[in-house]
Amino acid sequence: MQKLLWAEHQKIRRSKIVWITVFAVVLLAVMIFAGGLDVYHGPVVGDGLKYVRDNLRYIDNAGWYMDEVQPWSVMFVFPAVTALFGSYMICREEDEDTIKSLRLIPINEVKLTVAKMIVTFELSVMLYLLLFMITFLTEAVLHFSDLSVKLVLVTLKEYVLEGIGIFFAVSPVIALASRMKKYWLALVLAEIYSIAGLFVSMTSTLKYFYPINVVFNFSGYYKESAVGIWGSMGILLLCGALSVLILKLPGKTTDSRNTDLQQNTGLLH
Amino acid sequence: MSDFLIETRQLTKNYGDQTVVDSVNLHVKKGRIYGLLGRNGAGKTTIMKMILGLTPITSGEVKVFGRNIKGREKKVYPRIGAIIETPGFYPNLTGSENLEIFAKLRGTAAPNAVKRAMDVVGLPYKDKKLFGKYSMGMKQRLGIANAILHDPELLILDEPTNGLDPIGIAEVRNFILDLSKQEGKTILISSHILSEIALLADDIGIIDHGVLLEESSMRELEKKNSRYILLQVSDIPKASLILERQFHTQDYSVSDNHTLRIYDTSLNMAAVNKALMMEDVAVISSQLCNDTLEDYFKKITGGEGIA
Repeated sequence: MQKLLWAEHQKIRRSKIVWITVFAVVLLAVMIFAGGLDVYHGPVVGDGLKYVRDNLRYIDNAGWYMDEVQPWSVMFVFPAVTALFGSYMICREEDEDTIKSLRLIPINEVKLTVAKMIVTFELSVMLYLLLFMITFLTEAVLHFSDLSVKLVLVTLKEYVLEGIGIFFAVSPVIALASRMKKYWLALVLAEIYSIAGLFVSMTSTLKYFYPINVVFNFSGYYKESAVGIWGSMGILLLCGALSVLILKLPGKTTDSRNTDLQQNTGLLH
Repeated sequence: MSDFLIETRQLTKNYGDQTVVDSVNLHVKKGRIYGLLGRNGAGKTTIMKMILGLTPITSGEVKVFGRNIKGREKKVYPRIGAIIETPGFYPNLTGSENLEIFAKLRGTAAPNAVKRAMDVVGLPYKDKKLFGKYSMGMKQRLGIANAILHDPELLILDEPTNGLDPIGIAEVRNFILDLSKQEGKTILISSHILSEIALLADDIGIIDHGVLLEESSMRELEKKNSRYILLQVSDIPKASLILERQFHTQDYSVSDNHTLRIYDTSLNMAAVNKALMMEDVAVISSQLCNDTLEDYFKKITGGEGIA
């Protein structure tokens, strides 16, 4: 497994898909920052650690930026980029025809997929850490003295747990797109799946079960009871189990796929 | 154990109702180059895939290193290097980086294995050029480098000269010959290029429409190829009469109104020419010919030639 993990890390060197995910994170941070330049007018809103005060730009309130980025990242960006990356990692072996050479080594394909999932998990957490670094440094530049250690650490914990939660929430999408051998499909499916979370959040019950919304409970972004957090964890683990099930479902072999292709294109003689 | 590193018995592959490989009995001897010759789509790649366990066998059996291959045999892979169809690598990595991944996954012990393999195929080690920017020829070379990376005893090369320019083809041919003659590797190579197989192989298998039509050593095949005297004359009936009456041979055939093929090459051609001229038969040309491998290929496949 160690060798497979090393190999998977090597394979993403200079990979455009990594830069696409980084770009998506930076773009998200820039957009929220731009939105934060508006001035807030209204009563003070806060939860003990973070406040939004009257007649101040949103971005000038300590903790606002680090906080505001989170729902946008969970609802619009991270599920899609994580799913895209994960399914690309799995599909590329067939797309780039490297799977034949790997089979001749031979490698254990289950372990190979596990290694790819681990790298995707790492990427999900790393992207959240990148986002945290951007938002934290921005806040530190703007108002370092207003930031408390507790605020920073709590937010860091939320970001890390969101990275973990998002990976588990989208893992069935990764598995599904990988089985269909179309990694761009993961992007579309994950986007529909995560945006649906917006509507689910308006419901009273479903929001406690829908994996995308559950990520907020799991990370502590929404204040939940211990039971709620354990429940969220259970749902995310169920997503992980579902992805394993999808990946292990018997399906067409490469051989029969090739035959179909050959027959369709008249290559069989 | 038999002398054969690869042996197939009644090897058959069906895709639905279509039989793409039909009862093939292949015998690849240790230390020799076996050329599998056939047109595109003849079933060469499918046979190789079945030997490697990359595609299921419909019926029959495959033995590699004396071991019956049923699916993916983990124990034999470390002893085999292979290229099947186009070699696939990661386009965002350099050639060396790609090979380092495969070397590590294989657990290749030799510290300079990647460098050595790249030197053999004439690719620069640690070059910054990414695989995605490689020409077809470079890709093929890297594929071969990957196949020899772990110093296997047996090489299975599916059309390794595909996409190479004439100089590249000659270079690949030379290092395949070196691998066999100097390092004693056993090589199964497929090609639709007859001249390539003729220059490389010690043994040859001719396959057409999934059927192995002929399997023999090149030497035997060369012997089988008939030698004859091609004689062009002005009067065929008169010439035939002279051959039969004066030279007591009927071992000839008439190709057209002016051409004879005399298969009895022991005849004294000077005497034949003299006798023909004495009887007023003009000799337009007379030459000793050998049927080429291509002629033989045409003869046994009952069709057109091959490149």
